[in-house]
Amino acid sequence: MDTTPHKNRIGEAVRRVEDIRFLTGKGRYVDDVKLPNMVYAAMVRSPHAHADVKSIDASAALEIDGVLAVFTGADWKAAGYGPIPTKSAVKTFKDGSPLKEPPHHAMAIDRVRHAGEVVAVVVAETREIAREATEAVEVDYAPLPAVIGIKAALAPDAPQIWDIAPGNLCLDFELGNEEAQKKAFAAADHVVTLEMVNNRVTAVPIEPRGAVASYDKASDSYTLWNASQNIHANRDTIAEACLKIEKSKLHHIAPDVGGGFGAKNGVYPEPILVCHASKLVGRPVKWINDRGESFLSDTHGRDQISTVSLALDKDGTFRALRTETLGELGAYCATVGPFTPTGGSARTQGGPYKFDAIFYTAKAVFTNTALLDPYRGAGRPEASYQMDRIIDYAAANLGMDPQELRRKNLVPRDMLPMKTPMGLDVDSGDFPEVYKRLIAMTDRGGYEKRVKESAAKGLKRGFGVSAYLECTGGGPKEHAVVEFKDNGKVTLAVGSHSTGMGHETSFAQVLAGHLGIGMEDVEFRQADTDATPIGGGHGGSRGMEVGGSAVLQTARAVVAKGKEIAAHLFETSADKIEFEDGSFFEPGTNHTITIRDVIDASNDPDKLPDGLQPGCLNIGTTFERGIISIPNGAHAGEVEVDPETGVVKLVSYWVVDDFGTIVNPLLADGQVMGGVAQGVGQALMEEIVYDENGQLLTGSLMDYAMPRADDIPTMHLAFYEGAPTAKNLLGVKGAGEAGCVGAPPVVVNAVCDALKEYGVKHIDMPLTPEKVWRAIRAAGA
Amino acid sequence: MYAFEVQKPADLDTAKRDFESADDGQYLAGGQTLIPVLKQRLAMPSTLIPLDGIADIAGISVEGDSITVGAMTRHAAVAADKDIAKAIPALSKLAGGIGDPHVRNRGTIGGSLANNDPAADYPAAVLGLGATVVTDRREIEADNFFKGMFETALQPGEIITAVRFPIPECAGYVKLPNPATRYALVGVMVSRSGSKVRVAVTGAAPSVFRATDMEAALTMNFSPDAISGTEVPADGLNSDMHASRDYRAHLVGVLARRAVAEALA
Amino acid sequence: MPAIKVRVNGRETAADVDERTLLATFIREQLEMTGTHVGCDTSQCGSCVVEVDGKTVKSCTMFAWQADGADITTIEGLADGDTLHPMQQAFRDHHGLQCGFCTPGMVMTAVAIAKQNPDPSVEEIRAALEGNICRCTGYQFIVEAVQAGAKAMRG
Repeated sequence: MDTTPHKNRIGEAVRRVEDIRFLTGKGRYVDDVKLPNMVYAAMVRSPHAHADVKSIDASAALEIDGVLAVFTGADWKAAGYGPIPTKSAVKTFKDGSPLKEPPHHAMAIDRVRHAGEVVAVVVAETREIAREATEAVEVDYAPLPAVIGIKAALAPDAPQIWDIAPGNLCLDFELGNEEAQKKAFAAADHVVTLEMVNNRVTAVPIEPRGAVASYDKASDSYTLWNASQNIHANRDTIAEACLKIEKSKLHHIAPDVGGGFGAKNGVYPEPILVCHASKLVGRPVKWINDRGESFLSDTHGRDQISTVSLALDKDGTFRALRTETLGELGAYCATVGPFTPTGGSARTQGGPYKFDAIFYTAKAVFTNTALLDPYRGAGRPEASYQMDRIIDYAAANLGMDPQELRRKNLVPRDMLPMKTPMGLDVDSGDFPEVYKRLIAMTDRGGYEKRVKESAAKGLKRGFGVSAYLECTGGGPKEHAVVEFKDNGKVTLAVGSHSTGMGHETSFAQVLAGHLGIGMEDVEFRQADTDATPIGGGHGGSRGMEVGGSAVLQTARAVVAKGKEIAAHLFETSADKIEFEDGSFFEPGTNHTITIRDVIDASNDPDKLPDGLQPGCLNIGTTFERGIISIPNGAHAGEVEVDPETGVVKLVSYWVVDDFGTIVNPLLADGQVMGGVAQGVGQALMEEIVYDENGQLLTGSLMDYAMPRADDIPTMHLAFYEGAPTAKNLLGVKGAGEAGCVGAPPVVVNAVCDALKEYGVKHIDMPLTPEKVWRAIRAAGA
Repeated sequence: MYAFEVQKPADLDTAKRDFESADDGQYLAGGQTLIPVLKQRLAMPSTLIPLDGIADIAGISVEGDSITVGAMTRHAAVAADKDIAKAIPALSKLAGGIGDPHVRNRGTIGGSLANNDPAADYPAAVLGLGATVVTDRREIEADNFFKGMFETALQPGEIITAVRFPIPECAGYVKLPNPATRYALVGVMVSRSGSKVRVAVTGAAPSVFRATDMEAALTMNFSPDAISGTEVPADGLNSDMHASRDYRAHLVGVLARRAVAEALA
Repeated sequence: MPAIKVRVNGRETAADVDERTLLATFIREQLEMTGTHVGCDTSQCGSCVVEVDGKTVKSCTMFAWQADGADITTIEGLADGDTLHPMQQAFRDHHGLQCGFCTPGMVMTAVAIAKQNPDPSVEEIRAALEGNICRCTGYQFIVEAVQAGAKAMRG
């Protein structure tokens, strides 16, 4: 692997700083937080999807040795706590009326609306006692009919989950120009329509969710260690909306977090409940979900049914696209919830392809299931899947070559910058070049030989491609602050934080590279509401784009201030000073001083010009991006399908991504590969399944299949760096989610290609062996 | 987990006594099924009686035309054994495909058989190879051992001590693993010894069973083609979200043909 | 309450354990070595893998008292002071970890793979990682790390 030093270290494959800790067992995750006198909470969760809670009798549980307290929804209500609000960016129906937001309390009050909802909390001396005591809490339920499945929820006779939401409808939505779309459809030679399901999945970070809360009576304040991706925003919500305290009274910390992928982004009930528990018993309280509880209570992702129509001319030119989506929300509005199937899935409709018109509609629907919230990509994987599936489906129906359709319809570079029919600003990129490079990687010349080799083994080989365009998201602002210590170290605190992405390395890389100091001198702090005044956490592939830019902006501010100090020492003016490779110098003179000496000077009043105080290099700045960036790229893969069993094996995978400037190619590779594996998992095996009564059938890793090492092929990656964005200081386009945006359509397209001789044109994900076998049988029949 | 006590017998007699004196005794072999069950609070034995301290019920030996595998022999040991690899490679393959490497380091043949999970691999080996289950009190032919889902011919307190596999002329085992657990969605063990052909199917039904129509066809002509038209009826097969009974019935045919091909290879 | 003696990372330890205490819980809670992680309840994820008498086990699927008398190695026992074990170094060099949660189990498994097979192929490594789930990396850099680590271990 290349370890060549780079200018300012941008582009260098720096090995990770945090790895030493993780590789030696010294990572500190929330379950490793151990406080004096700490006790444990366990959740009593509803076994019913929909039921009235008639009564709760905790007396038997309270008699168990070691049980300290049990509290219920009635206690919660009496304490006056507020519900968890949604922060959906889409807030209104098409007609302008507000979305239907039912109160989402941290625990059920009188009625449960999904299996796994918390009805009571047990606090006990040990984890084992707490868990055991949950079984002794007697809850009398009166079951109600459950609403399961999007279409069933919208049926005229469906039971109603919320009085305020007739028809179980939370929100409807449209974006684009319907008039123009209809006109283009009428004029087009062909219109191809397909209903497709984006299967419900869940993130399954290997670290289950958990929290430790410690209430301090003297200051009437809480410290909350939480396996969260987003501590600042969630601090505000938990404090102000739920606990009804000032946000300064809640110190929110995420220790090392074992993966998130969106599922640790929102505000969850349990951390709020353990805050209350700690106040109640006057001791620190820990709660850790087990994996079974995680499947019941983590947010799920995707779960959309979309009818996609593509209008095209007989030469294959795309004219217009129409997508009608039904998206599931679960029983309440989660933190981002209603945004995902509406705005979140609308923005990137049409992908990198040229259209005269696009029209998108959506309905966001309540069901008696766990909540839906962002999962890596949150809407963009859905849009990409819709686009790249309808291309192959159209090609199969019209006898066209899908790759030729893609190539022909990609937006040419000279059309950029542009505003898409969805209103998305696309500032930079070269889609045809990226696509060309991808296809060049895939050894098309050797394909027929590989098809024959597969056939000799009784297998059908197929090739699939996607060309995606997505957009980043998350909070638009980020703060980075540095403090230079006497011991020669500099602390760097950033409000964006890593749940595995490696900010401890990449942010330090940006700072150290720009200042010309050693990476080993940077001490990184993240995920602590006391460390930075604001923070956007992690989500929407924003880390490097917003957080990295904040670091660079702060580094530049340090250099600017350093120039004033150097100028003072050189007895000249700051505008004559230049800075390079860690030294300030005045061109044309022998005046030069290292940044280390300038840092020392910055703490010495005798060496500072008027107006600068000791510690003046300790600077924090807030970066705010103008518009989001547009990562884009193209993926391809080859599959082998066993037509007798329906087993699909992904055998080859290629990716070319345009993430603008690559700060650390090793870490960027890791992001892509992990995302691809998740996308492949969604395409081939992952699915959250409820039965018709709302019982979760995939409640453990015995039933929820996840990709293992032998399910994923060797991936070949390349980056296109010819079109950096000017919308942030580093020129980066967020890399975190793209992998699972591009992968699902590749897999399904490749399988349909492999099975074209049988007449198979579409199979809904996941492509389990039985589904593939059935598709072959149905097509052949 | 519910509370239980532990006895640690060093010999079979003590183990049996421990079982008899317990309110609700439960032998513990490798624990790879039982411990997760206890963790989920799906069982509440009063006493766990681990069998790994008992001498002479682990290990592999070849005697004439059979191979004897001690009940406490770990899957990994069976998979790695050179004698088994030579004599019954299909058994090596089967043992090497159970669970994952860590499970194979703990799980035992005796525990797997006593549990008789409908999707476990070992029942297919025992039934498909016509093995004999040896216990502390008797020998049980494979055909009489498996009684139903999680049910065997074992009496309360009876301990499997070994399994004796006759060495076949040839055998093959092919399974389609459940992608989540790696248990068999369907697994088929085929063996031939002289005119005797056995086809045992696991994963497809509540308990392992012999596909007798296939056996008859293969007795006439031991080749994949001989059973290309032979179907297992879907009625009574398992149906769950991973595989419907129709699909399982279909898989039995496909995997049986592949197992025959493997046996002949 | 069974009394056990174990040797953990070379150090003899005696302890009383509850019958129900899993080996993973014993290591994490009683020995306070929190590098061994628990990521599921059904013996799938492999985050809890440790070596017991030379063999990798899922420490969430074994009682502490079953390890009585055993020699146990956890992730904390691999490095030699500040010098990483060659497999740990390979994971770092090849970016074989992201969030770090599955990593201890992965590295313990990787060391066992290399001990059994000093020159494993990509396919052999992928098969041998069947009992360890990683959600972050897509496995490729783990596979590369295992290959490089095995090479470094054979010297």
